[in-house]
Amino acid sequence: MKGKLWLILALTAALGLALGGAAMAKTIKIGMVDCYSGPPSTYTNDVRDAFKLYIKKVNAKGGVWGNKFEVLTRDSKFKVDLGLAAAKELIMREGVSALVGTINSGLALAISDLAQRENIPFFATFSKSAKISGAKGHRYVFQITENTAMIGKAAAAGLAKKPYIKYWIAGDDYEYGHAVADGVWQNLKKLKPEVKLLGQSWWKVGEPDFTPYITAILAAKPDAVIVATGGRDCVPFLKAAQATGFNKKVPFYMHTATELATLRPVGKGAPEGVMGTSNYHFYYPDSAANKAFAKEFQDAYGRIPTVGALYGYITAQLITGAYQKAKTMKGDKFVDAVEGMKVNTPVGTVELRAYDHQALLPMYLGTTKKSDKYDFLVADGIIDITPAEAAPDVNEIKKARGK
Amino acid sequence: MEIASHITLAALGQQVLVGLSRTTILFIVSSGLSLILGVLRIPNISHGSLYMIGAFFTYSVASFVGGSAGFWVALVLAPIAVGLLSLLVERGIFCHLYEREHLMLLLFTFSLMLVLGDLVKLTYGSDYRSLAAPVMLQGSFSLGNLPFPRYNAFLLLVGPLVAFGLWFLTNKTKIGKIARAAAVDREMVAAMGINVSWVFAFVFCIGCLLAGLGGALVAPTQNITQGMDHAIVMECFLIVIIGGLGNMWGALLGALIFGLTSSIGILVWPQFAIVFPYVAVVIVLLLRPKGLLKSTW
Repeated sequence: MKGKLWLILALTAALGLALGGAAMAKTIKIGMVDCYSGPPSTYTNDVRDAFKLYIKKVNAKGGVWGNKFEVLTRDSKFKVDLGLAAAKELIMREGVSALVGTINSGLALAISDLAQRENIPFFATFSKSAKISGAKGHRYVFQITENTAMIGKAAAAGLAKKPYIKYWIAGDDYEYGHAVADGVWQNLKKLKPEVKLLGQSWWKVGEPDFTPYITAILAAKPDAVIVATGGRDCVPFLKAAQATGFNKKVPFYMHTATELATLRPVGKGAPEGVMGTSNYHFYYPDSAANKAFAKEFQDAYGRIPTVGALYGYITAQLITGAYQKAKTMKGDKFVDAVEGMKVNTPVGTVELRAYDHQALLPMYLGTTKKSDKYDFLVADGIIDITPAEAAPDVNEIKKARGK
Repeated sequence: MEIASHITLAALGQQVLVGLSRTTILFIVSSGLSLILGVLRIPNISHGSLYMIGAFFTYSVASFVGGSAGFWVALVLAPIAVGLLSLLVERGIFCHLYEREHLMLLLFTFSLMLVLGDLVKLTYGSDYRSLAAPVMLQGSFSLGNLPFPRYNAFLLLVGPLVAFGLWFLTNKTKIGKIARAAAVDREMVAAMGINVSWVFAFVFCIGCLLAGLGGALVAPTQNITQGMDHAIVMECFLIVIIGGLGNMWGALLGALIFGLTSSIGILVWPQFAIVFPYVAVVIVLLLRPKGLLKSTW
């Protein structure tokens, strides 16, 4: 009887210790707000999935400092009001320690304001507005994707090397389109002052038929065209370009033309010879790190990673890395830890610049070409554009912030 | 001959033809909407959803059959499938609502639009789908030294065929004549021993089939994706309003105005081309508030 009593006491003590230990370990909640329904989800699902993939690996190793991460997602449906309400709910009700998202620049700027008020880190993963880390940047916002200023610089650097003088600009009649076009054109004029702008065309987002735009541009006979369209409009634009033979008559640059998310749906029917820029290709750089990442993502989700996967992965690396360093997700200590942090990514070492919190990613300027290996086009003749060439320097950021 | 800077007569002519090919799609979808409005008096907000479903069905059938033949088979089967789907909806739900107020019908079709949108999402997911045009319709030919896509030329042939088919159906067939009579006085038609309910079902089915045909025809030219229904349904409502509510030839006139002002606007003033068709709508409504042709409402 006495022996049994000792056994019960020993088991109770062991259980108590186990429960006590579990109670001491924390769950760190990260809130992801993005558009997971409708056309933008083609881009955002990869951000979410790659982010979760990295977090899963960290958790499987026991987390960081014994604490595990939990990812909570909310669908913004590409609406600023819905997304902002979701971000508030994640902070107030779920008590998330950091926010991640979103593809909508307007929503990203709204969440950025909220993050500043609440002193919560916000990692903007896919919104391209240069204001996020530029004019409207602050201590709690971090931009992981390339932004419109960087696109402009990178494209201008590539186009300036080409012999084109007479340009036409065409694009989405909203902030992204105008910011990209303006960025490319202003930088191109600096690098090559003799360029001339023949005219501009602007269409509504979701334009169903680009044929009349292309035939009108062809009638003007420019040397080259800068096409500033993004997201859902890239595919129909490429289709209309192929149907009219646009790319064979006039060379054109379209930022996302070489991205997998744009090229995969069009298959072999996409036009060849279109210039485009991107932060990532699953086949480039041809490095062990990139091959391992592409395989890891494909094994997990059964699909090839697009550029969004890189953004999601880097964001998870930065958050967990900074927590490792700061031992907290709160306030200035976490921000100090993440500022200037360098992480090893599938595209090499990426730094989160301390001054403006902009991730300094390389960009790849390539031209669409058919491939024997895939049933979609790939980027050919890729030119590496370094972060030093593409990112605005700190003085430009200071100027944008009025300092 | 040059009109202004780069705008030559050849460019203008080509732009008119490109505009007419867009008009074809607008006319086909709007005429279905107009038919349902005129006979059944239903402002069918879910019409755009059926257009979207037509495009998705086309993708599915064409992918299943494969090759260039896939598109031609899909062009026939997808609109019929949309028509049959609409028949199910009409017989299952709509036929019980005809006597209700317009607002009730409006709310119902709005709900139907949301349900159909979610069904598409559940079935196909949220990724884009893309379909290639058959080989013989790919690429372009030269027209006054400017390229004109073969697919757009094909659309220019389809438009008049559909218009003739509709004219024939409504004017030369018995069911068409009954439908026209039911649009004017449904009680009188019923008193003659005709089952008006089935006439309505037929008209609804044909109207929706036209939406499906529009979706099938645009499938090779654009993204097949959720949300493609929203823009088209708004444009089609504007077209039937300026043409004259429920008047099929008004739909043709409205589509011509909408398609051509849009296309020519892009050539003449490309920076502000978006507003041209809407300005045309405002001008028409200021001059003729009830539409260009006789409204059946």
